[in-house]
Amino acid sequence: MKPRILTFAIVGGLLLAACGTSNAPTSSSVQGGSVSLWAEWSSGEQAAFTAALTPFESQNGVTVNYSSKGSNIDTVLAAAVAGGAPPDVALIPDPGTLQTLAKQGKITDLTSILGGLSSNYGSAWNTLGSYNGKLYGVWFKGANKNTIWYNPAEFAAASISSPPKTWEELIQDVNTLKAAGVTPFSLCTDVGWPVADFWQNVYLKTAGADKYNALAAHSVKWTDPTVTTAFTTMAQLVGTPSNLAGGLQGSLSNAYPACVDKVFPKAGAQPQAAMVFEGDFVATEITGNSKNYTPGTTGSGGASCTTDPSKTPCYNFFDFPAPSANSANSAAIQGAGDVAVMLKDTPQSEALIKYLAGPDAAAIWAHLGGFASPNKKVPASAYPDPVSKGIAQALVGASSFVFSLDDLQGTWEKNMWQDLLDYLKNPSSSSISSIEATMDQQATAGLGH
Amino acid sequence: MSSRSPGRELAPPAETGVPTGVPTPAGTPVATSPAVPFTRKPAGGGGWRDQFGSLLFLAPAAIWLLAITIYPVVATFRNSLYDETATNYVGLGNYKSVFSTASIIVNFRNNVIWVVVFPFVVTFLGLLFAVLTERIRWSTAFKAIIFMPIVFSATASALIWRTIFDLDPHVGMVNAAVQTASDWVNPPGLYPVNVSAGQTVAALASSGLGPGASGSLQSTSTAAAGDTVELGLIGINAATLQVVGAQTAVPPSPSSGAITGLVYRDFSPSHPTVRGQVFPDEVGLPGLRLTLLRGDGTSVTSTTTDQHGDFRFENVGSGSFQVQIDAKNFQSGFTGIFWLGSQSLTPTSHLSETAQALLSVPLVDLAMIVAYLWMWAGFAMVVIGAGLTSLNRELLEAGRVDGATEGQIFRRITMPLLAPVLVVVLVTMIINVLKIFDIILNMAPGSSQGDASTLALAMYNDGFTGGIHSGLSSALAVILFLLVIPAMVSNLRRIRG
Repeated sequence: MKPRILTFAIVGGLLLAACGTSNAPTSSSVQGGSVSLWAEWSSGEQAAFTAALTPFESQNGVTVNYSSKGSNIDTVLAAAVAGGAPPDVALIPDPGTLQTLAKQGKITDLTSILGGLSSNYGSAWNTLGSYNGKLYGVWFKGANKNTIWYNPAEFAAASISSPPKTWEELIQDVNTLKAAGVTPFSLCTDVGWPVADFWQNVYLKTAGADKYNALAAHSVKWTDPTVTTAFTTMAQLVGTPSNLAGGLQGSLSNAYPACVDKVFPKAGAQPQAAMVFEGDFVATEITGNSKNYTPGTTGSGGASCTTDPSKTPCYNFFDFPAPSANSANSAAIQGAGDVAVMLKDTPQSEALIKYLAGPDAAAIWAHLGGFASPNKKVPASAYPDPVSKGIAQALVGASSFVFSLDDLQGTWEKNMWQDLLDYLKNPSSSSISSIEATMDQQATAGLGH
Repeated sequence: MSSRSPGRELAPPAETGVPTGVPTPAGTPVATSPAVPFTRKPAGGGGWRDQFGSLLFLAPAAIWLLAITIYPVVATFRNSLYDETATNYVGLGNYKSVFSTASIIVNFRNNVIWVVVFPFVVTFLGLLFAVLTERIRWSTAFKAIIFMPIVFSATASALIWRTIFDLDPHVGMVNAAVQTASDWVNPPGLYPVNVSAGQTVAALASSGLGPGASGSLQSTSTAAAGDTVELGLIGINAATLQVVGAQTAVPPSPSSGAITGLVYRDFSPSHPTVRGQVFPDEVGLPGLRLTLLRGDGTSVTSTTTDQHGDFRFENVGSGSFQVQIDAKNFQSGFTGIFWLGSQSLTPTSHLSETAQALLSVPLVDLAMIVAYLWMWAGFAMVVIGAGLTSLNRELLEAGRVDGATEGQIFRRITMPLLAPVLVVVLVTMIINVLKIFDIILNMAPGSSQGDASTLALAMYNDGFTGGIHSGLSSALAVILFLLVIPAMVSNLRRIRG
């Protein structure tokens, strides 16, 4: 089986040919017809996505009727399914919706349709797209929240040559930065969700993906020792106010993206911190602050990175590190993504799903920027810069992939954010235990178990 | 909006100069003035046909009112007795959980702070502006400026004031002003340590140094004449080094009769993690004020480090000494007050959690009240001004003829005559702030929003954001409604005269 799959991959762009050789029943080239497709992307993203679909349309003569449903696509899709008029194919941003639809029998089992194409994705992704052991979804787009962004010039000022690989190295670098008079971190924690994103990463890296998913479902209690470990680990970083730009007070007054601006300022200002944590969407903020920011560790024209944003500043990221004792979790990733599901089984929708599962569409969008694919077969050269390449490689190599835990908490999500803010205000061990008790009560009340 | 009732009631007098709607004390001539344009017709005078006709004309308004006022009120009452999806009856369960959460105390407390502070201050300011603008030239321009903020939406005002009160003196106007004043009185040192950002002077000590008296650093070992001292500091950033013009550290050479030494930045780019050693790529720290201390802590003499960080105390005599790096070097200057933070103005930190929730007055409340005064002072001024123009000038004249001072006239004549208008403004503003909401949502940063929250905001958060619970939210709405009723009734009575 393996060699054939490899051949597949090499053929790559000639997906149609590949389809012809696969054992799928109806795949010999589709000609004509149309397929309706829903996704959340609009404006710029929509343009990039439709550009990615153009080769499919021209090769097959199939018209793709794309319709953008915005961020409430889950609701719209549920209504359409209930009303009996779903699209042929939809890209949904929520694995929970995939599970629900699969349970209701509203989406098609893709196992035999995709055949070998499913091996384009790592097992973490295929597991996430499966229900009851059958594959229902193709993860076309991924988002990576496993990223700590740093200003290479600030690292250079403290003679840190390579970014930390483990949590211990991170703490050591934090101290080195401080010795050099550079404030290590900048937080945007006027509200609770950035604390939640941060804490969830720490929990994932210390306790692992299985515990993470169990905690999300509240089958692990919030008073569990793993929760305490995550809190105390995180306190090594955020529990010392001098690690944070503006201290605790400054962090509490920063609304996103003010913390990004403190590390990657606009022209005329100097950076006030070296690192900022948030997902891959931070890159847009950085380049929005100044076009001068070059991805990677060399400034534009090969010059060395400067702290002055009007010269040759750079930006880069490193993967959120795991403590060395938990190195098994270092490739576990928290993030988000869009999964393609098939609601009507037509030859055209089968062809489209196969096209999306292949590397071509993703490679086109990747080249246009603002995109990362978990697909192994998308060549690294498709990404325009080292940063987007790195983000995608982390997705591809993810040992497990989890979604944001807070979004699965329903009514008590707000309480959870507030509790995490309370923790940030006072991360002492006595306060941690009382916060855990509160959180567990609220989770029980909010989730009903 | 609550602004409408007094605004409309008082509009006619402002235009006609005749106080139809403004209740004036009985017995004043204006109250019975024949110029009053409307006289109330005795109700129920007509026959059935007459009544039918009026009912017919009333019907559209009545149906409209029923649909958009009465129905929601009834539905809210009903929902407050049901669970989060409004399907299962839970009795008074929602009210119980509303009163058993800790945050309800905070919400109530904030409502109380608003109601106690805001209406009185805004009425006072309105009165002040109204009386003063009567007496100045360009009063229309002045009134327009004071009145202008009311044309902004509360959201826009909140965002403006959020920026004005920003923590960063480079952004927030208030902190910028305080900074200018504070740095003028208390200039920052060359090596400022931002204490409010969690930095400490002690954390700068790297080698040969320990914390000294009142925020200074002090050499850990003693030195005598002829000795050299090397003192290492960390946490000095490159930008500071440029400002002070630091140059390569030169280790001191001993000199008889003198204590010589070096203060250097104990961070070597080639050895970023090694401390306590002077490397060739390290720099000295110039401009540091040093004091030589005797063993008993008394100061002998003082000096300043040169461009290479070197210093020298000549002819120190016998005995052992310590070198102190003065606290002045690290004075941080003003770094901003977190006006929108939840730190309490009342000292409650030693109290229990419940007592704290009850008795704290978070700073952010006051900042928001200032913003809200800015919005509403103009409105109060206009309403009170309208009342002022309709005052009977003869009474004031009579007072003056009788030899009353302006102050007496104001207190004894103007105020009593204006009292009904003032009460209307006051009560309107009480209703206004009981349901205060948008300014908090938009002005308080998330981290202090919990401490700044009021009943109306809690109602919104429970009912419309995140996990929706219409039962809890409705229960809060009902409680709020009950609280507004007394003020409403009082206002209606006054309007009817």
